[in-house]
Amino acid sequence: MSFLAPALLVGLLGLGAPVIAHLLGRERPREIRFGAMRFLPSADPSVTRRRSLRDLPLLIVRLLLLALLVLALARPATEHEGGLTMVAEPHDAVLLVDGSRSMGLRVDGTPMLEHAIEQAQTLLDSLPAGSRVGLVTTDPDGPRVDPTADPSQVAEALRRWLERDAPRAGAWPLALGLPAAARMLRENATGDRKRVVYAIGDRTEGGLAGLPSTAEGGAWVLPIPAVADEKPLPEHVAIVDVTWEPAPDLDPRAARVDAIVRRFGAPDDAKSRSVTVGLFIGDDEVARAAVTLPPDVSVPVQFTHTLLDDADILPASVALLDPTDDPLPSDDRRHLWLTAEDATEVAVVNGDPSELRAHDEVFFLATAVAAHNEDRSLRVRSVAPDQLSERVRKRGAAGLADIDVLVLANVRAPDPDVAAAIVERVRGGMGVFITVGDRVDAAAYNRALAPILPLIMRGPVQVGTAPGRTEARVEGIAPADLGHPIFAGLDGDVGLSGTTPRRVMLLEPDPGRAADIALSFTSGAPALLSTTVDAGRVALLTTSIDRDWADLPLRPGFVAMVSGVFDYLGDTQTGGTGARLVAGEARRERARGPVVFATPAGTEVSLAPTDGAVTFEDTFTPGHYTVRSEGAQQAVFSVEVDPAESHTDALEIAESPAESVDGRVAVNVPQWRWLVWLALGLLGLEAVLRWRARSES
Amino acid sequence: MSERALPLASLVPPQLRELLRARALVLHRPVFGRRLGRHRSARAGVGLDFRDHRPYVPGDDPRRLDWRAVARRERLVLRQTEAEDELSILFAVDAGGSMAYGEGDTNKARYARALVGGLAWLASRQGDPVGLVRGHEGEVDDTWVRPSASPERLAGFATVLSGNEPSGTCPWLPLLEAMTPRLPRRSVVLAVGDFLDPSGDGQPDDGDDDRALIGALASIRARGHDVVLLQVLHADELEFPWADRSTLRFSDLFGIRKVKDGAAAAMREGYLAALRAHQARLSERCDREGLILHTVRTDEDLVESFLGLMARFDGSAPQGDAA
Repeated sequence: MSFLAPALLVGLLGLGAPVIAHLLGRERPREIRFGAMRFLPSADPSVTRRRSLRDLPLLIVRLLLLALLVLALARPATEHEGGLTMVAEPHDAVLLVDGSRSMGLRVDGTPMLEHAIEQAQTLLDSLPAGSRVGLVTTDPDGPRVDPTADPSQVAEALRRWLERDAPRAGAWPLALGLPAAARMLRENATGDRKRVVYAIGDRTEGGLAGLPSTAEGGAWVLPIPAVADEKPLPEHVAIVDVTWEPAPDLDPRAARVDAIVRRFGAPDDAKSRSVTVGLFIGDDEVARAAVTLPPDVSVPVQFTHTLLDDADILPASVALLDPTDDPLPSDDRRHLWLTAEDATEVAVVNGDPSELRAHDEVFFLATAVAAHNEDRSLRVRSVAPDQLSERVRKRGAAGLADIDVLVLANVRAPDPDVAAAIVERVRGGMGVFITVGDRVDAAAYNRALAPILPLIMRGPVQVGTAPGRTEARVEGIAPADLGHPIFAGLDGDVGLSGTTPRRVMLLEPDPGRAADIALSFTSGAPALLSTTVDAGRVALLTTSIDRDWADLPLRPGFVAMVSGVFDYLGDTQTGGTGARLVAGEARRERARGPVVFATPAGTEVSLAPTDGAVTFEDTFTPGHYTVRSEGAQQAVFSVEVDPAESHTDALEIAESPAESVDGRVAVNVPQWRWLVWLALGLLGLEAVLRWRARSES
Repeated sequence: MSERALPLASLVPPQLRELLRARALVLHRPVFGRRLGRHRSARAGVGLDFRDHRPYVPGDDPRRLDWRAVARRERLVLRQTEAEDELSILFAVDAGGSMAYGEGDTNKARYARALVGGLAWLASRQGDPVGLVRGHEGEVDDTWVRPSASPERLAGFATVLSGNEPSGTCPWLPLLEAMTPRLPRRSVVLAVGDFLDPSGDGQPDDGDDDRALIGALASIRARGHDVVLLQVLHADELEFPWADRSTLRFSDLFGIRKVKDGAAAAMREGYLAALRAHQARLSERCDREGLILHTVRTDEDLVESFLGLMARFDGSAPQGDAA
């Protein structure tokens, strides 16, 4: 046993204080020398007896209290072999505490985070005198404490954090919190002292196992497991993933729900275990299945469900039915939205139908969509220009309400009333894909659809190997802008580079129009560009989508481009299947007016758009969310715990540089906690004694 | 001021000396002195005051025939006059520890010294022999026990009385034993003390402690001496002024009793009751034995006390005490 602050033992001298107080506080009898002693009644025996029996225990209790206080302040500690590793000399430190959902794993009945905070407390108690310590957690809303010489501030912040809902979904992996910790160390550096990040977390990929051994700026990273290495972690069952797809082969409104259940942390030779998994629509269980789980094997479970309700979209979830004893309950339920109708409606207005496939826009589009549309999320219909006009004239803009994406393929400019309806729908969220051709008159288009055109059209020009032109003038397609959302998920060559256009529509440059160019010709003229108009999106291809003006449809990248355009225009995020976020991921919603987000907790958050969109960031609670905004369909999305958080198996931790450096010490294990309890007990005893003394006198 | 009073000047305060200058010590009874003195004698003798006639018997001095009476009665009668004898006064002074109680003028020993000194001076001035016995620290100081009217006697008085401060116990019985054989005929014995704890044995009050002292004094009285008990008490002893809740620690001035702690309020009643019983007992025994008990309080005016004491001597004050 040693003392971390032995100088404070001087305070034991203060033990004299209560003795003196006791002696002074004792009632001093007045001394009288008297002659008539004979007549004085014999001395009152209780006076002396009380003084010795009553006051002495009080004195002892007070002395003990003071001694305990001094001892506790001197911080007695025993050397602890192994366990924590820390730097022995005074240094600048930041505690980086893992607040992710996997820290909710109950070990010995206590969440891992509590173990972590205990470790943090031990570490704080044992820091060499003169050290400064700060705090960073991976919880975006978690506490932050700049390095301070007073470790109790950090301890207090940790304690308050735990009292809130920590750990929670949406926290970052430890490795992502490390830069913040390193930055805090750098900004608060004092002199040439060592800078150390003590990372406290579990030994998972998102925890200590994913950490480098040094942080930026040369700070050491010392990993501290929240629970001791040798302690076995409990096994738990998680629903790792849930997907669904329509099942038209069973019923037009049927859906297949696929879940993957897995058992984590079980030893390899463990016996299989059976759990029950249920499918819930709303709060009602509609199906259940018994699943036998061998250790560490993902077991698929499939439910089929026919939506009987009239509602188009229903909140559903797949959950373990007997999760009460599961050490990590947060991943025992996953949420999704089921809809009967989930496809994006694409209406292709074919302005130039042709008997020849090579000259028919719809043929190329339909072929491209069919190749891509394995999950039948796109439903392509062909509409004649007259039919479109008729629908609009009958029902106004509502005539276009069931269309998610309108393709104007080589169509003459719509009449003003039709154009107005299109513009209105675009503002409400519809997507429009305009491809040009011989029937497109630039001036007429500019007149009719100027509000939604990415750029004003100038007119078509002949390019390439025209008579009198040299080969050097051959036009091609420049490398695509992969940052554009149309090409999201693609990299390298998108497969369009060999395209040889013969005729292109030139556009007027206009910085006032926020057009995003996804694809350009080698001359620099835009080939494919897009813009957003309020909640809607518009894409413009400045050559024909059939082979009239170019050989674009023959290129390998054509299918990807078309599906990208449709995904972009249809904004598939709003659909039932696509709208799934990992907790903490922000949801962006394009809107003209205020948007109301309803959270699983039942609260509603109304946000006003900036730059035509709102960003909803409070997606930390897993569950079903709905989005309402004026003039647009209700959108839904679900929030899930990151499946990676379910992987609680302990992994190997990278060797720390401090292991090989002199000056690391076995940590001191504080021994003063029990002193505090003893002191509290004595305090109570003191109060009782004092109360008794007072009531006696 | 007479020169003989000078040695006592330190004992007797000026205002008392002023008073005594014009006074005489008078006893209410005739005395038998060995010499002529100021006091009315128990026998007829040479004096100025007419006393009686008696028939002439042969051998009488013819000068003492009362011729007028002889002429009136036609037979020889002698004129008898009062004799004036000297009066021996013996002071038995308690110099035990309890007499040290009191501050300044209320100090019991000081008060007692003033009274004794005043009486001694008065007596000495009119030629009465005085003697002094003093009990101090368990010892009897009988240096000046034989009554004498010599001028040196007052100086000796002053020395003894103003000697060492009162302490220890006053051995009353040995003191009286030392004094009794040397008493001239029909003297006055003035026992000065507080008579609160005369036994000096340190035993608790059993109501009988004073019997021995009273008995000894009574035997002196039986020999024809006058015995006056001059009891000097302090107001604190009579009233026990401590009545609050504070704790008091009493230590014995005699040094023979154990220290007593206690709450003042709790002790007061018992103390006063015991004191009253003691005083009543003392007074009753003195009455029965023909002793004169005179009690003075040290917070009273010294002159008043002295006059009261003199009144007791000449019999003009009723039996009783100042307390």
